[in-house]
Amino acid sequence: MAEVGDLFFAAIPELNRLLVSREISAVELARAVAARLQSLGPRYNALALLLEPQAIRSAKAVDADLKRGRTRGPLQGIPYGAKDLLSFAGQLTTWGAKPYAGQVFDHDAAVISRLTGVGSVLVGKLSTVELAGGGGYRYATASLQGPGLNPWDRTRWSGGSSSGPAAAVAAGLVPFAIGSETSGSIVTPASYCGVTALRPTYGLVSRYGAMALSWTLDKVGPFARSAEDCGLILHEIAGSDSRDPGSADKNFYYAPQFARPVKDLRAGFAVVDFSAWAEPAARPVFEAALAVLQESGLQLVAAKLPEFPYDQVISTVIGAEEASVFESLIRSPQVDQLGDAIQIAGLKANLDIPATAYLKAMRIRRLIQEQFRELFTGVDALVAPGRMGIATPVAEPLDSDRPGPVPQDPGMSDLIPAANLAGLPALVLPCGFAEGLPVALQVVGPPFSENLLLAIGREFQQRTDWHRRRPPGT
Amino acid sequence: MKITRRAMTAVLASLGAQAQTPARPALTAEITAGPEAELQSAREQVRANVTALSQFEIPMSTEPAFEFKA
Repeated sequence: MAEVGDLFFAAIPELNRLLVSREISAVELARAVAARLQSLGPRYNALALLLEPQAIRSAKAVDADLKRGRTRGPLQGIPYGAKDLLSFAGQLTTWGAKPYAGQVFDHDAAVISRLTGVGSVLVGKLSTVELAGGGGYRYATASLQGPGLNPWDRTRWSGGSSSGPAAAVAAGLVPFAIGSETSGSIVTPASYCGVTALRPTYGLVSRYGAMALSWTLDKVGPFARSAEDCGLILHEIAGSDSRDPGSADKNFYYAPQFARPVKDLRAGFAVVDFSAWAEPAARPVFEAALAVLQESGLQLVAAKLPEFPYDQVISTVIGAEEASVFESLIRSPQVDQLGDAIQIAGLKANLDIPATAYLKAMRIRRLIQEQFRELFTGVDALVAPGRMGIATPVAEPLDSDRPGPVPQDPGMSDLIPAANLAGLPALVLPCGFAEGLPVALQVVGPPFSENLLLAIGREFQQRTDWHRRRPPGT
Repeated sequence: MKITRRAMTAVLASLGAQAQTPARPALTAEITAGPEAELQSAREQVRANVTALSQFEIPMSTEPAFEFKA
């Protein structure tokens, strides 16, 4: 007989089996998850808004469907949380920011509509760094809900800006969550909290109803128990949407049975990432993870990122686009209500970015895309640390200097901005622990290569159990 | 996995006790240079980025990575 605690860490197929076989009802599951989210969410500052009455109503509809034999797929009846920059009609959507603390929309975000359509049960909104951290932020406290606390060690940051989604999944508060990334906001918290997560190709998942930070960079994606679960979720949330001007007008079908064998794949990596950029305590963990990938048949070959001023390009693109999105806020006294001094200063300064600089950045971006296309003619994917080390202490400034000398060879240390500029997907795979805290790999592929990334992820997770570990006290 | 409803009830009852968790760790006082200094610093960073981009040479024919269609 399994422990009830196992229920909170069960993967989607197992939960679906329990629901379809009526061993547990959708209402019972929703009540249990909502109670756990309400009780433990504040421990990690992960909960922005509990939606228990709405969840129970949805769950009752699921139970009625299941009673009639109306099944809608593996996500039917599965509770989840959504980052609080995704609108849910009639309920608060605060964007994690005091100036928007009372904001209510009259429509659901597309991703929430799609999940509702397949019977998933939204149980709560999860915390985010204010305005997804676009202006920059120095402290983890830059959120209406307070600093995201890491379930593995609450003196450590959960990472951001999808702090709530990562912490909630890591601590077993929800089976899966929907977060977002402009540059790093899925990869970072997933790495720090030891959670599997997927940043889709730009345009694959509709941005309709998601707070716009940077129109040409924002992506919505899942945090879940496994690569398999991420594939099942992406299958439901991806697709064309005429309400999103950036929509790629493509669907995604999770098709593991048709994935190329991992032994036929080549992945590029930079030795210096794992030998010098990675924090010393993390290096043996990464080394062991690479060995697992090699055992799975994946051929690891040396690769280099194309050379571009990634930081300046992404800062200018995000800065100019967000300054336009939030211009009325920035020019009003309300901007000073934001929680982080760097965020406030960054937003104001970004109004100074000249159009010529933004256009130059976007022209360089086209060259970045072309160079990545060239890179991917020689490899199928890139493998790098998700973050070079463990989660930082919550009280420490996030712009603290990196300890130790900076390696001369950049390796793939710029992979997060580079891949985001090119609109590339990434799968985050927890791969072990350093000093008691999770570390993770990121696997990046060409546009619309999610099935390939998920195949690598499934193979890795069949050989390891890092993605099934539970933080102490959960 | 098989779970009894009695076990479920017991876990839900225990969540009330778990909710009384220790306070979150105290944070040290945040250090800022003052709003004007922070804004000056941010503006300098913008200028530095703009300069760096202007000095990065690219073919004249390169178009921005977005398109307008009528």
